[in-house]
Amino acid sequence: MLAFAQWLESTSLSLTIKSISWVVPLVQSIHLLAIGIVFVSLLMIALRVLGWTRPDQAFGIVLARFSPWIRYGLVVLALTGVTLVIGEPIRELMSLSFRLKMGLLAIGISSAVAFERSLEPAVIGSGLDPEFSAAAKSAALATVLLWLAIIFLGRAIAYDVEVWGPLSPAPRA
Amino acid sequence: MDLTAFAETLYNSALSEWMRGSLKALPIIEAVHVMAVTTVFGTILIVDLRLLGYPDTTRPFTRVFRETLRWTWMAFAVAVVTGSLLFVPNARTYIVNTAFALKMTTLLCAGVNVAVFQFTTLRTVAQWDVNTPVPMSGRVAGAISIFVWTSVIVFGRWIGFTKGYDFSVPKDLDFEFPQSCLGCLDALDWN
Repeated sequence: MLAFAQWLESTSLSLTIKSISWVVPLVQSIHLLAIGIVFVSLLMIALRVLGWTRPDQAFGIVLARFSPWIRYGLVVLALTGVTLVIGEPIRELMSLSFRLKMGLLAIGISSAVAFERSLEPAVIGSGLDPEFSAAAKSAALATVLLWLAIIFLGRAIAYDVEVWGPLSPAPRA
Repeated sequence: MDLTAFAETLYNSALSEWMRGSLKALPIIEAVHVMAVTTVFGTILIVDLRLLGYPDTTRPFTRVFRETLRWTWMAFAVAVVTGSLLFVPNARTYIVNTAFALKMTTLLCAGVNVAVFQFTTLRTVAQWDVNTPVPMSGRVAGAISIFVWTSVIVFGRWIGFTKGYDFSVPKDLDFEFPQSCLGCLDALDWN
């Protein structure tokens, strides 16, 4: 992984990103704005599953309101995230927080896809209002915590050695 | 008391000393700050977009407003507490940082915008609560809010790149000690 990160760092694209001082802060800012949109959209759907918000709206309407924002927001996050990895490959790839974040992200996205597939296709955008089991409600709560952990780990990448100590794979001289 | 003396007092407080002495406190508090700020932004955006007529006007504005801002305020409270904790141990550098000054200014603008909206446009909400286009003053407040909160996030991120405390760990630092270590203080570049 270190060899790959070092190679990536030597590519001209990586050098270009690094050489323009405002690129990384700007891309990080866009990444943060998209995180706000994706996380809150997910939160609203989860809260609706739990029955804590929008009781006046059918679940299908809530899903139709927020799921496109999650989908397109994730595309923005992937594009900005990849840019940040190319710009600072060693800092990102050689960080335990980054690796854990990618693992949780895989779980988060696949469980969201599985959830959407488990619904009747007619639910989305319709007035249909499925009853959610206690298990589904627990899953909704777990999902919110999972995405909070993803956000936490994202910021912790910058402090990998401080946070993880000897567990951090960051190269030390 | 002038600002510099105030910052100096905060900088020299026991809390401040403790935070500078702990390696993990600052990263953890900063990560929680990010969770809170992104939640503030995302939830306020729902209200702002409703003011602009998105997705439609079929849900009463008062309902969207009350229901969503509950989460905004909770997240905002966390952001203020964690933000203050980040400020205190680095007060000296924050008060001379332009991005920080701009972030505080835009936050103030956000507050003024909400206050003006509450005391003027919101008073007439009965006339445009549901199935009616929001009056121009409300739409303007929504647009200003989106712009201002976007700026808060951008300036906030800019602080980390301009104030220079985004410290790097000294390469020879030995991590076999418990999580906090006063002896490492000299090695860390806090200014």
